[in-house]
Amino acid sequence: MTLIRLNRACIALLLCTGFCSTALAHNPMCECKEIPGEQIECTGGFSDGSGAPGVTLDVIGYDETILVPGKLGANSTLTFKKPSAEFYVLFDAGPGHVVEIDQADIQPQ
Amino acid sequence: MSKLAAATPSPLRAVWLKWRFHINVLLLLVPLGFMPKYFADAALFRGDSGIGERVAGEVQVGPWSLTLAEFRNEGPRPDPAGPMKFFNAALCAACADQVKATYLRIGKPRSLRAAGVIFFGTPYRMGALLPVPERTPANAELWVTMEGWDGTMHQGSISLSQASPATIAWLNKQGVKP
Repeated sequence: MTLIRLNRACIALLLCTGFCSTALAHNPMCECKEIPGEQIECTGGFSDGSGAPGVTLDVIGYDETILVPGKLGANSTLTFKKPSAEFYVLFDAGPGHVVEIDQADIQPQ
Repeated sequence: MSKLAAATPSPLRAVWLKWRFHINVLLLLVPLGFMPKYFADAALFRGDSGIGERVAGEVQVGPWSLTLAEFRNEGPRPDPAGPMKFFNAALCAACADQVKATYLRIGKPRSLRAAGVIFFGTPYRMGALLPVPERTPANAELWVTMEGWDGTMHQGSISLSQASPATIAWLNKQGVKP
């Protein structure tokens, strides 16, 4: 019985070593969509499934002026009014951990 | 009767009893088939076979330069955050102690904040996991941004087709996305 358990553990370990490189990575993710009332809702998180409450999410104009400085709420989302000028959304979890979403990539309603 | 039944094993058990030694020897041979890949991977991870499977070339970034390589000579791998491609790089010998951070991005960065993914590791062998959007054009450029300890920032680029032909093949296979 112990041998069978040991074998199972070995097989699981072997499978884990095959996939560990992908499982360890946690890349930033962000998704924005238009919601009723000319508003945009962005949800941030990481590819390991964790949320991103309190992470900076700025709405920046094409001229690099920050239109909406914000931070994600406790539910990892931020809702803001759609700017009239051309803009992109920057989910900023630190240097090199950013996601950029251009206004053209935001799903319409 | 019961003694006789116990003495003559079932046909399957008879086969097992006859061949078990040979079968076990065959099992010992199975790992041998995986050895070449194992040693190739070990050399790649240790750096014995260079900084990556395919060295793309030198990228001039202002006064500095870096050698860019594909860690694996293959297209992007799927990830929950979208397809990802792993690049390795080594800074030039003279700039190793001058460069604070190196970033990689498809397309020219809008600002230093949005310079892309950061390279991790030593200046002699660092790696970055680059997201490759599915609608990346085949003529896209890979931009390298370097930030020095003196506060200066320099940028340089290399065409994606030169940096990773496997990624271009992957993009062509995917087809043009809207």
